[in-house]
Amino acid sequence: MSGRRSRSRQSSGTTRISEDQINDLVIKLQQLLPELRDSHRSDKVSAARVLQDTCNYIRNLHREVDDLSERLSELLANSDTAQAALLRSLLTQ
Amino acid sequence: MASADKPINTDVPEKDVFTLHFLQSLSNLRRQNTFNSPEKTNDRVKKIKKAAYVSMARAAGGTNRLWSRALLRRAAKENSKVVRFPRRKKRVTCLRRRRSNRRDPVEEEEAERLRNLVPGGGGMETSKLMEETAHYIKCLSMQVKVMQCLVDGLAPK
Repeated sequence: MSGRRSRSRQSSGTTRISEDQINDLVIKLQQLLPELRDSHRSDKVSAARVLQDTCNYIRNLHREVDDLSERLSELLANSDTAQAALLRSLLTQ
Repeated sequence: MASADKPINTDVPEKDVFTLHFLQSLSNLRRQNTFNSPEKTNDRVKKIKKAAYVSMARAAGGTNRLWSRALLRRAAKENSKVVRFPRRKKRVTCLRRRRSNRRDPVEEEEAERLRNLVPGGGGMETSKLMEETAHYIKCLSMQVKVMQCLVDGLAPK
């Protein structure tokens, strides 16, 4: 019985995340954001700020996908040789 | 679960794999005459957009990632339904209430917004959410780059 108890305690210990781990993840996220990537290590950016900028960045990317889908739709509807052009752009990438 | 022991995989997804999937979907759409039919432009754009996201999820490892799994599942549901599935807000709010005790409330609020932006984010712990978000961002920006490449390649010179 005591064995079971200790096991359950152990498993709950692994799911709890330490502040250090969160901080590491925040820094990792920060490095992916164009606006915050270049900020110096010395001026610490708050986790809330990083999360906020992450949201904005994702929204921007979603908007870009929307715009690009629209443009692709136009281009594919208008060109007769879209298939060939697609292949060409694939090969020259 | 053993998944907690797995090392965090932050590999940048294969650009070529995404491109291949995406081009394949586009040529499928073309074969179905999506681009020539009198279909509404809006529907066409939606199909292309969906093709892009599904291709990204496949390239990102399909069902191995939480966000890509959620995205693919949502896409599959959309294929078989007409009704929109409501978002599972309930679960999110109950998670928030439980967590707000021990974390910065502003931080939690932002994390909450993030949960609504990342596919499948609704049920994630904050640490998992951030890990998945990092991967999702990498994939998204790769997707945008490739799509931009295609647009540039297709645009009349």
